[in-house]
Amino acid sequence: MAVNWLARLAARAPVPVYPLLGIGGERALYQLALAERVTRVDSPRHASVLLVAGHVPAHHHEALKRVHDQLPRPFATLWFRSQALPGLESARRLDDPARLPDELVALHHELQSGQRGSSPRLLPDEPPNPWEGLGDDGHGGEGMMGGTPYGRPMAMNMQDDIRDGLTLDSLTFRLGPFYPLLPPGLAAEITLQGDVIQTWTSQSPGYPRTLDAVFQRAREQPVAIAELELARARHHLRHLYQALRLAGLEGLGLKALRLARELTPASRLDGLRRQLLRSGFFRLAALDGGVVDAETARCLGGPTARAAGIDADRRRDDAHYRRLGFRPVLGRDGDTRARWHQTLAEIEQSLALAGRAVAEGDLTTAAPGNAEPPGGPWRERSAQDAAGCLEALLPGMEWDGALATIASLELAEASASPPLGEASAEGPE
Amino acid sequence: MELLRLLVVLLVALGVGLALQWPALRRQPLPGYSQRAPFLGGGTPDSHAWNRYHIRYYPMTLLLIAFEMEMMFMYPWAVVFVEEGLVAVMEMGMFLAILSVGIVYAWREGVFKWQ
Repeated sequence: MAVNWLARLAARAPVPVYPLLGIGGERALYQLALAERVTRVDSPRHASVLLVAGHVPAHHHEALKRVHDQLPRPFATLWFRSQALPGLESARRLDDPARLPDELVALHHELQSGQRGSSPRLLPDEPPNPWEGLGDDGHGGEGMMGGTPYGRPMAMNMQDDIRDGLTLDSLTFRLGPFYPLLPPGLAAEITLQGDVIQTWTSQSPGYPRTLDAVFQRAREQPVAIAELELARARHHLRHLYQALRLAGLEGLGLKALRLARELTPASRLDGLRRQLLRSGFFRLAALDGGVVDAETARCLGGPTARAAGIDADRRRDDAHYRRLGFRPVLGRDGDTRARWHQTLAEIEQSLALAGRAVAEGDLTTAAPGNAEPPGGPWRERSAQDAAGCLEALLPGMEWDGALATIASLELAEASASPPLGEASAEGPE
Repeated sequence: MELLRLLVVLLVALGVGLALQWPALRRQPLPGYSQRAPFLGGGTPDSHAWNRYHIRYYPMTLLLIAFEMEMMFMYPWAVVFVEEGLVAVMEMGMFLAILSVGIVYAWREGVFKWQ
């Protein structure tokens, strides 16, 4: 009786969802974040539904299985524009983004009321490595710890600390490609000593990020500057959402997302900027580091380069942008804080340009190809190169500073063609 | 009679307590091995996470204790200060001087600089 009552209550609670993002899956994330009856959780242990959004390449299927099996029973999976893994054929699939929150709620309700069974485990339930002790019962062994628990040695591989030379244990692990605080697809082998990164070796670059369709059109034909600049501002606001969530300011992040959803040429950034200043976001110690050198900044391009003082923006070559009085906003320090100041300044600039373009009779770009995408020029560098930049940038940084740095960089390659149905998903918001 | 009642109450309480601890009642399925592994977003660890590392705030903690001890000595000192007069002032001065040497040393070593 009591259990039924509890199950009914649990079914009515907001659905804890762990979003696992594949290629083109980030759009589902923004919708999920703004849905009222759904809570986005950062660990599969707290989730009731695993949402696999976007296509997951075959070489990441093992990692996907590991995350899948880490959800506590009973749990369900929803495959949004994605093909379910073998063994999960009965899992629900969905292509319509508008139905995403309703489907998640329905799935959770079915699960809690017992109408749907838990998703099956995909990996064998056995220790990744058996206990390697010396005694008859697996007890004892060599060294202070005795035995090798589950085949993994205790962290006793001493290395000199790169900060002050204090020799202590170092911890090596592989993170990603579905770690929620890294861009989707990015995987790395990391060695930590305490909270300081000793080494960072990128194993897989981030998945290509699908841009608004207007950027692709702008490569082939003149497009309305207002539309282009609003799409740019929307992109930056969504990027800001991730950083604010990382900083523990999810409420502000959601405001940024709402602003992105309702963006018009008359929108203002003042309110959000004021709240960001009051929240202490720009005073966070984690934003202190992450200075990229001139060469890396040039390689990454876009706001990252301009935040380091590099005067590079393709829009300057466009006669109609010049007519609107466009001049690139430039930063100076090139660190994480400078990149967020740059992002805010570029959002404001985009809104101002959109307003002026509308006032000039919905001005279009003068020629195709001059509309630089928000993350930097098309195909100037590959995502592999961008992920490779981290190997030189991150060692020596503390964990919080490193994650804040990664969040501030646009590492994913811009995808020219949206995945199946993605353009309609973005559509009129 | 009262002792008997007390004994009954004790036995009942003990019985209920033991019943609640009964393994069959408390039995919950153990999470699988996949769930017991650390969550690394699909990644895998090389070694156990039980490792020794340097907590960077520990010199500050030691300094806090040093200042606390100083205050602890000053309370009884304040009680006898009026009776003892200048001698007490000199003794406390020596104690504070010794402590200050430690603080000056820590300052020179950069302990107060937050890492």
